[in-house]
Amino acid sequence: MSVGIRRTRSRFAAILFGGPAAIGLTMFLALPFLMALILTFTDQRLVSPDASRFVGLRNYERLLSVTTLVQDPVSVGDGQDRYVRIRDITRTDPEYRGYRPLTSFVMGDRRVTVLARDPAFLRALGNTFLFAVLVVPLQCVMALGLALLVNAGLRGQTIFRAVYFSPVVMSMVIVSVIWSFLFDRDLGLFNQALSLVSFGLIPPIDWLGDPSAAMPAIVIMSAWQGAGFQMLILLAGLQGIAQELYDAARIDGATAWQRFVHITLPGLRNTITFVLIVTTIAALGLFTQVDVMTGGGPRGSTATVMFEAVRRGVREQNVSYGATISLIYFAIITVFILLQQLVLRRRQGARR
Amino acid sequence: MVAWRRMIATALMAGSAASCAPVGSADPRTELVLWRNQVGLQEEAATAALVARFNAAQSKWHVVAQSLPQGGYGQSIVAASLAGRMPCIMTVDSPTVASYAWAGHLRPLDAYVPASNIAQIIPAAVGRYAGKTYALGQIDAALAIYTKRSILASVGARVPTLDHPWSGAEFQTILERLKAAGAYRYPLDLATRDDKPSWWTYAFSPVLRSFGGDLIDRTGLASAQGELNGEPAIRFGTWFQGLFRKGLVNRKEPDENGFVKGRSALVYSGNWWVADYRDYAGKDLLVLPPPDFGQGVRIGGGSWQWAISRTCAHPDGAGAFIRFLLQPDNIAAMSDASGGVPVTEAGAAASKAFGKGGDSRIFFDLMRRFALERPATPAFPTIANAFTAAMRDIMDGGDVRDSLDDAVDDIDGAIADSPPSAKAGK
Repeated sequence: MSVGIRRTRSRFAAILFGGPAAIGLTMFLALPFLMALILTFTDQRLVSPDASRFVGLRNYERLLSVTTLVQDPVSVGDGQDRYVRIRDITRTDPEYRGYRPLTSFVMGDRRVTVLARDPAFLRALGNTFLFAVLVVPLQCVMALGLALLVNAGLRGQTIFRAVYFSPVVMSMVIVSVIWSFLFDRDLGLFNQALSLVSFGLIPPIDWLGDPSAAMPAIVIMSAWQGAGFQMLILLAGLQGIAQELYDAARIDGATAWQRFVHITLPGLRNTITFVLIVTTIAALGLFTQVDVMTGGGPRGSTATVMFEAVRRGVREQNVSYGATISLIYFAIITVFILLQQLVLRRRQGARR
Repeated sequence: MVAWRRMIATALMAGSAASCAPVGSADPRTELVLWRNQVGLQEEAATAALVARFNAAQSKWHVVAQSLPQGGYGQSIVAASLAGRMPCIMTVDSPTVASYAWAGHLRPLDAYVPASNIAQIIPAAVGRYAGKTYALGQIDAALAIYTKRSILASVGARVPTLDHPWSGAEFQTILERLKAAGAYRYPLDLATRDDKPSWWTYAFSPVLRSFGGDLIDRTGLASAQGELNGEPAIRFGTWFQGLFRKGLVNRKEPDENGFVKGRSALVYSGNWWVADYRDYAGKDLLVLPPPDFGQGVRIGGGSWQWAISRTCAHPDGAGAFIRFLLQPDNIAAMSDASGGVPVTEAGAAASKAFGKGGDSRIFFDLMRRFALERPATPAFPTIANAFTAAMRDIMDGGDVRDSLDDAVDDIDGAIADSPPSAKAGK
């Protein structure tokens, strides 16, 4: 039997075994992606009797255009600086037509305003990364804490494991509805509890109605819901660390904290990396909680990129614009992951 | 109880009949497929009963009814249209009539329902687009303020009537007195818990109209500039924001039952809740017109309506069925079964609940006198989204002028983007 035949046969086997998955990936991933790419250059609506037209880069222009506007104060003589209202400019000056304020700050006595064609998208991008930055550490630390607790050999360990894992298997929609009740300003459990332990000193927080509290509220809820899953993975990692290491450390007189820092954490390094990546990916796809609990509000403070894509593409039926949002987001995440890989690889290289 | 069972049985029979295509080759009658949205057992059973009566009295047509889940009903219609498999007769939701007519899903009804018949129907229940009638309601809905006589008495407020409604200032005083009295944390429930644009537009755009503003300039239907961001609209927005800032309304009630659980003193909602409110307040219940904020009392209008598809092969038969639905006795039968408000004077007169002196007569009067039709433009979904986004921002403390200006820009931009065919038509 020659090498050639064997190679042909193994290639045949590769096609045979890889085929079904390849067909699935092409049909449901590669093709839709290509279709979305084409859509972004058209004005296709979700449902319309009119044929879609080619509009070039219009969708990208609307999504990404950013400019700045510097204003001198208008003197009114009452000692307070005042500026011409932004919308009075954007709605009349053709140069700024279609722009809306994203943010503004005062430099000296001049006001600088950053304007965007679609500030809602940029704000959603910011919200999504804010969510990821808040939820990933919280959720991973919670998961690690739970894993250590469950691994400590206390009685009823199996029950605790099941209890901590149960939110993960519950439908996110149901969890969100229940937490909306818990977060209620007047009747919710959290405010009642806060008021009880502080003897009424902490005023009721409008968890889901205050623009500055809504995102943290969703972070807390999401971390609670998701931590059980990471706990299981970390638990498996913990059980993979050899007991001898702990025994040896104990004989050497290491404290519990020393054992944790020098044995547990290094032993979990790979598991923790994996958990961080999985949690980050899940965080960047935030949608359900926002849709059920806040609808992107109050005042856009919890709108995420996925939420914007669905809102524009499906609910407002502007599917070409929705596709543009998804595509840009895909590009941003790709760059993000490439950078992350680069950093990790460089660090590993340095260690060697 | 027995009536209930009979209704369910009728519905089930209609359902099974639909699935096994009852018109055999021996039957000389022509089959007409009908689609309706699933709304509730009573209304569906009433439709089934009407279909059965129509079929029994017919030698020419045979209507086969199918009900589809309301959640995806709009998509079903559009998908069926794209696939060329539309039913002959169908229900359509009033806000979508103009866009369906523009998209070519519907056939004008003017050739099948006499103009004298259409003239008897209150305007809000008539789905018009570009000068033609495309959909007709059999029943409609009405919004009202509900409260208890004892609550108004506790703050010394008068009971308003259709001819002498509360003024905006009077209404405000009542709410603030109720708040100050302390029995209600939030005196008024505006159902802002529901964040769907359909509710926000239906409920609050009539209030905007009562202030003197509107969703869009109704003469050209091409721009909202000056209507949605003019001085009356800004006054409306400022008032609306104040309701939440002063704690007169809760931005999100924990559930829909604030009034019946005694959490709120007044509630602004539709006739579909009246049965629950009667159970709660009994004789003490008051059903009142919303306040007049300067330009008269206004309430929303336009519910689910009947239409004929463009592809229907036998529009005569479909027209006969719609004419049958609009006979006063049949309107009354539907109203009494479902609680929906009859759309004609004769229909109301024939109804038990909505006739002169009937329990629910007030809803018919409110609808006849104050109901406002939606602007008949295919851009309505965009208008509803933009209006709702602006109002929710205003509720949450956003700048009133900025929010309204943004809504105007969204609406005008979407109309400018849309193909020329969508811009025509009033």
